[in-house]
Amino acid sequence: MTINYTRISALIFLLFFLVYSYLAGEIQVFAFDEHADFNARTFPKFISYLGIAVSFLTLVLSRGEDDEPFDQFEWLKVFVLFVLVFTYGIIIKSVGFFLSTNLFLLISYYYLGVRSYKVLLLCSFPVVAGLQFMLHGLLDVYIRDPFLQFLGVIS
Amino acid sequence: MIEGIMIGVNTAFSGYNIIMVMMGCFAGTIIGMLPGLGPMSAIALMIPITYGFDPASAMILMAGVYYGAIFGGSTSSILINAPGVAGTVSSSFDGYPMAKNGQAGKALAIAAYASFSGGTIAALFLLVAAPQLAKVSLSFQSADYFALMCVGLLSIAAFASKGQFLKAMIMTAFGLALATVGQDSLSDITRFHFGNINLMDGISFVLLVMATFAMSEAFMIIFKKMDISFKASDVSKEKLGSIKLSKDEVKEMVPVVGRTSVLGFLVGVLPGAGATIASFLAWGFERSIASAKEKLKFGKGSIKGLTAPETANNAACTGSFVPLLTLGIPGSGTTAVMLGALLSFGVQPGPRLYVEQPEIFWSIIISMYIGNVVLLVLNLPLIPYIARILAIPKNILVPLVLFFSVTGVYLISFNSFDIYFMAIVALISLVLRILNYPMPPLILGFILGGMIEKNLRRALLINDGSFSFMWERPISLTLFIIMIIIVLLQIYQGLQKKQN
Repeated sequence: MTINYTRISALIFLLFFLVYSYLAGEIQVFAFDEHADFNARTFPKFISYLGIAVSFLTLVLSRGEDDEPFDQFEWLKVFVLFVLVFTYGIIIKSVGFFLSTNLFLLISYYYLGVRSYKVLLLCSFPVVAGLQFMLHGLLDVYIRDPFLQFLGVIS
Repeated sequence: MIEGIMIGVNTAFSGYNIIMVMMGCFAGTIIGMLPGLGPMSAIALMIPITYGFDPASAMILMAGVYYGAIFGGSTSSILINAPGVAGTVSSSFDGYPMAKNGQAGKALAIAAYASFSGGTIAALFLLVAAPQLAKVSLSFQSADYFALMCVGLLSIAAFASKGQFLKAMIMTAFGLALATVGQDSLSDITRFHFGNINLMDGISFVLLVMATFAMSEAFMIIFKKMDISFKASDVSKEKLGSIKLSKDEVKEMVPVVGRTSVLGFLVGVLPGAGATIASFLAWGFERSIASAKEKLKFGKGSIKGLTAPETANNAACTGSFVPLLTLGIPGSGTTAVMLGALLSFGVQPGPRLYVEQPEIFWSIIISMYIGNVVLLVLNLPLIPYIARILAIPKNILVPLVLFFSVTGVYLISFNSFDIYFMAIVALISLVLRILNYPMPPLILGFILGGMIEKNLRRALLINDGSFSFMWERPISLTLFIIMIIIVLLQIYQGLQKKQN
């Protein structure tokens, strides 16, 4: 049996469904429900059986013909974008929607190669301001924004 | 029924909802045009905008986005041979050669007229078929619903997997497993939350859709170094040429429209099939019945070759609303996203929808017709201008898609945890997509998970824990036989592939 990416992923799924199956058995149900025909454990158990069966079959039967080599892709760029999204999530509450979103957009554009200041500014501030106006002003969706509150733009 | 239709007409023709259709068609065309971003991403990106809307208007907007995206996909297929949507791949077979021969405008006009005709005929079928099916489905019991949902899951795994049925089934099981996170609907017991308060309510459907489609698609564009931008001159008005069709060309189109709209609608109604399969089938069907002389034209700019998939994919889009509206079971990945959106509005589609909320049921159906008119009257003349969106470079587009995805999820809960979780899910789905694991079965499994559990629970409790309901009720039995046939077909195909 040769190792390929599909087999590795199938093995990970197999482990996932084995752990899932174990955790499904550990779900605390009410005492009167323990021996019921159907309780909170039943459906997860069925899912785990299905998952174990199909991931095991994939593990055994896969020949990895359609696998693409992983080293040809832009891992670093995606990872940096992932970190940017993550950081955006961290600062959005403390800094506020307007500033954090503009920062996220400006840094992302710049990282992906945009160098024109005109493009950088036109594709960030007006877009964010427009969306925030639509949500806040037109659709009545309140977005807490300490920065804009500090500036007195929103109450 | 007449009263319901009148309510629907009233709702759909209100000024507000007509603007919704126009906005939906316009936004859908733009997003559908961008290679990689299909109707599912387009609808997912629209969900946050619809929060403040009433359910009917939101669904009208999303339906507009759906067929707008299909129309936009055809445009990029024809102009630059880069289908934005899988359902329009076969449109490029004859559309792109026509564009290369200097007939891009004509090809776009054929696509628009064919889409309009296919969508309109299918909307009429829907008008007749949906209430009938809704009446039939009133006789469905829990066991039948359970069986029907299993057929839906199996068939979407079979059709969406491109020969990777086992991988699609893993994704189905994964989606079902994710659906069990959070509170059990009957006993209120929380499951798989690992002490994290953010998981006690379960995983948000919008989060999952945004992460697996919109965000992972944006990552994919960077990850695969995809060159998605084109020169503005490639889609200029001068290069498109005339959009007028001659009488002979219209004559050639008419019988094809008639045949393939029926075919497309029927394929769309089937759970798991949809626009992609319908368009390929229609192209293949028209080619097989064409004369030897006409057959040679297919793939080189045949009018019939372009009309067939364009009619069928729009008819299938409309057809896929039949199981969604009448049974509450989505027939495709896109309608699965719409089902999730409906559920988040507190609307439960199914046989009762057309009795209890006729304004939603009928206004969606009638808005489809308005949408087809909008696409023909507004979008076709504007195509040279809309197509300039293709000139947006990826380094601008990707951050914007990421921003809209994050905003969409943040606006539901105002919870930073959802953003972290979304980024992680997007990264995982990116890796899974590279390994050819299809995403639609995951979404369908996730959306149907709760309903399957509820119906299985009822069926088992009624039958004292026995699975005999599978063969005791004729509807269930038929559906389980269909399931067995689907599985056997997949095994047969797998064996055949191995032999080859």
